[in-house]
Amino acid sequence: MNTKKDIGWYVLFTMPLIFIFTTVVIIPFIIGIGYSFVSWDGIPANPKVFVGFDNYVQLFQDERFLQSAWHTIQFTVLALIVVNLAGLLLALLVTNGLRVSNAARTMFFMPNLIGGLILGYIWQFIFTDAFNSVGEKTGLKSIFFNWLLDPQFALIAMVIVFAWQMAGYTMVIYIAGIQSIPDEMMEAAKVDGANLWHRLTKIVFPLLMPSFTICLFLTLSGAFKIFDVNLSLTKGGPNNATEMFAMNIYNEIFAYSHYGIGQAKAIVFFLIVAVLTLTQVIITKKREVQM
Amino acid sequence: MITKGSEQVKKVKKVFGLLTATAMIAAMVGCGGSGGNNSASPSATASSSAAPEKLKKISIFQSKVEIAEQLEALAKKYTEETGNEVEVWGAAGDGYATQLQAKLTANEGPSIFSVATGAEAEKFKSYYYDLSNEPYVKDIAPNMALTIDGKVVGVPYGVEGFGLVYNKSLVDPKDVTDLASFTKTLEKFKAEGKNGLSLSQEAYFLIGHIINTPFALQPDPQAFIEKLNKGEVKMADTKEFQEFAKFMEAIKANTKNPLEVKYDTQMGDFATGKTAMVHQGNWSYAMLKDYGDLGFEIGMMPFPLAGNNKLAVGVASNWVINGKAGPDEIKAASAFLNWLFTSETGKNAIVNEFKFIPAMVNIEAKDLDPLSQAVYEATKSGQTIPWALNYFPQGIIVNDLAPATQEFFLNKNMTGEQFLQKLDAAWAKAAKQ
Amino acid sequence: MKRTGKWILEILLFVFALAFLSPVYIMVVNSFKNRAELYENTLALPSSLSFQYYAKAMEKMNFLTAFGNSLYVTVVSVIIVVILSSMTAWMLVRKDNKVSKAIFLTFVATMLIPFQTLMMPLMQVMDWIRTHLHIPMLNTHEGLIYMNVGFHASMAVFLYHGFIKSVPVALEEAATLDGCSKFGLFWRIVFPMLKTITVTIAILDVISMWNDYLLPSLTLSDKGLRTIPLSTFYFFGEFTIVWNLAMAGLTLAIVPVVIFYFFAQKYIIKGIAAGAVK
Repeated sequence: MNTKKDIGWYVLFTMPLIFIFTTVVIIPFIIGIGYSFVSWDGIPANPKVFVGFDNYVQLFQDERFLQSAWHTIQFTVLALIVVNLAGLLLALLVTNGLRVSNAARTMFFMPNLIGGLILGYIWQFIFTDAFNSVGEKTGLKSIFFNWLLDPQFALIAMVIVFAWQMAGYTMVIYIAGIQSIPDEMMEAAKVDGANLWHRLTKIVFPLLMPSFTICLFLTLSGAFKIFDVNLSLTKGGPNNATEMFAMNIYNEIFAYSHYGIGQAKAIVFFLIVAVLTLTQVIITKKREVQM
Repeated sequence: MITKGSEQVKKVKKVFGLLTATAMIAAMVGCGGSGGNNSASPSATASSSAAPEKLKKISIFQSKVEIAEQLEALAKKYTEETGNEVEVWGAAGDGYATQLQAKLTANEGPSIFSVATGAEAEKFKSYYYDLSNEPYVKDIAPNMALTIDGKVVGVPYGVEGFGLVYNKSLVDPKDVTDLASFTKTLEKFKAEGKNGLSLSQEAYFLIGHIINTPFALQPDPQAFIEKLNKGEVKMADTKEFQEFAKFMEAIKANTKNPLEVKYDTQMGDFATGKTAMVHQGNWSYAMLKDYGDLGFEIGMMPFPLAGNNKLAVGVASNWVINGKAGPDEIKAASAFLNWLFTSETGKNAIVNEFKFIPAMVNIEAKDLDPLSQAVYEATKSGQTIPWALNYFPQGIIVNDLAPATQEFFLNKNMTGEQFLQKLDAAWAKAAKQ
Repeated sequence: MKRTGKWILEILLFVFALAFLSPVYIMVVNSFKNRAELYENTLALPSSLSFQYYAKAMEKMNFLTAFGNSLYVTVVSVIIVVILSSMTAWMLVRKDNKVSKAIFLTFVATMLIPFQTLMMPLMQVMDWIRTHLHIPMLNTHEGLIYMNVGFHASMAVFLYHGFIKSVPVALEEAATLDGCSKFGLFWRIVFPMLKTITVTIAILDVISMWNDYLLPSLTLSDKGLRTIPLSTFYFFGEFTIVWNLAMAGLTLAIVPVVIFYFFAQKYIIKGIAAGAVK
């Protein structure tokens, strides 16, 4: 009796969202999987030809795709480190009880308010115009030159822009985590004579594990799917050196009109990253401290 | 504990307030939805409505942001003059094709839309309504209509042309007639500390337009492209391309690296006299206009490859009618196009508001800017080469040719010959797919 | 000694925050320049501080209508996301069985799917709903809200899930003994304790929905329905941007969210969950 009722509540609480989510995300995704087995240009009126695993076979011979996957991995790893270090640092800075904290929080968060496309255009000015003029004025041309024309530096430029945008985002989550640490614990530690480093490593960081899990995952999924900044900052150049995975798929689907191959690429990469990240989530979740 | 309790109660009240509000909103979503249904899908009701004159409301979706506002104003005038309604949609320049595809996929397609000549027109061809019997089609200038399988399906926006846009106070066209004089002129400017010629980093302005010339100079460009697709010929083995590579070498050796230049800076440098020539089209006048009085005159001359003395002129975009729309909607859409190309208001808007060089014999061009004037004169005298780039495989300029060209301009040691080989390789890859 | 040290910290933090905002500076100064001036120097201060481009951008964007549309879509979407996701996440945490785990992992995994690969099938599903169920999902704000909820569900569930785990079960058990129904229990006891994370989610979702371009651009067509980002399309040509109007439009677009954030963050206060433990 009780369990029946429980199941009723369970369904009542979870069904509305699951229903919406299924129609908007799951079903389109499944349709997408279906399309990965056909050769089709993406125009509904045009014929879809079933080709089995041909699309999957093809994409492993597509050097450019493999390259873009490699760029995406490099980018994601770098972004993961930079974004989270920066976000955590900012969060610690603005939860210190300083007077300017409130203003500073808003300022750190503001980059997030500028949509990805515009952000790329603005940073383009910085990496080209501003860097060139700084380089000329200071003579440090080996550091300040047009970063977007060098394959390695262009990738780093993307990491910087992404980090600049995402640091404020993760900061918000870290702040929420820090705020939920009880004052008494910190006070007690202070009374016991623990220094700042000890307080951080022994109390703050362990209690922030849930926030770490969340932020790592959010950065990871954001970095892995990056598109707007890619398009507006480098357009994948120079010479495809910064073409990321989402852009490669987008081009496959919309520029070359190879719908099936594009979907196959998306699914392969999805599977790889899903396995990797779910492992990560499961590992970090185990370390979380239950209060 | 007691105080906690009363706090809880307060919170609970707040929450319930929020809940009721949401429930109401949720209800609104429900009814708002079904209410929208009645107004949003008038197809069922419109056919039974009695009003004889009034045509179905149509929608227009088009790619040229620059005329978006003017088109909206024109739509308003159309409603004033005829009583029929037009909804003008909008999309940012680089998102248009994707949005169009999404809307067509969802059966939410516009009544009238625009397609770029070439691969894009080919891609959406299953949606076109056959315009062959529509009255305004006969006014399209010869060879300018968009035809698919022998049927006229699209009406051109207008013609556009590109070549070397030059500063008349710095350059004499007589000094830019072949590879030798071209190179000499660039060297002269380099010695003076000026930029002789500027390309810019955008794919079309970097390679797409300039590489059109060697293609257009082939006896049959379309057949040449097909052979190239099949791998039967190579650019590296073709005379015009070999010379093109030398031109590109001269540009690389004597001008500012185009990858450092954006379209904005390219035209800014030109407007302020720092650059003598740019490889651009008549559309770039819209940018120059923003700089006020330039203090010099401008002109457009042919890119002098292999003796070429003609501007490249073609149709970039076309209006088409969505053949998958209902008959009422198609009728209304065609009525609008008819009004656009035959009424005084419509014709006037094309020339004076959109600033197009008309591709219709019944519309007179007047008060053209100097660049459009050059294109218009070339068209009238037949001194033009075609836009062979319209026949390139889909997406190749942005996704394959541009990266190869970036490599050419970034790698100091790469020769023109190697550049051609890169282009051939890129082409082979794109055509195979 | 300690006080001066604190003041130095205050100033350092402020300067750092300002430096962090330098790209925003580029956005704002260029909203006051014409094309020629922008070409001369992108980084310099504008020669005159006239708000003509703001006025023009507002007029072209039909700003008030667009603002109203954005507000409606964002607020309703966020409220629904918060309500449904918190309920779902709570159940998934408290009924920690295989089904819950599978549901949770599905939510999380889908966050890795690039939207670009979902958009065409999504359009087909919405078209199917419209033709077969006669619910107009496309070209309506309500349809967009529905899709917004679907796309933001994963992250909200993920965030709530993480935080609900740290909420002690003891309180809930006491309430259950008092005869609370699950519904009452959740809204009276649990939800108030989730305030910090709720505000965080609301902030993050407001921002991403407010700024979203791609999804609205696919679903909304009519001029009267355009949100703020959609209405800036006039300034973005294929090869060039009308910088002053674009930057002015953008500045106008983000001011409301900056204000929202400034006030909302005050609700991320200390010890909500902790207070409940006592």
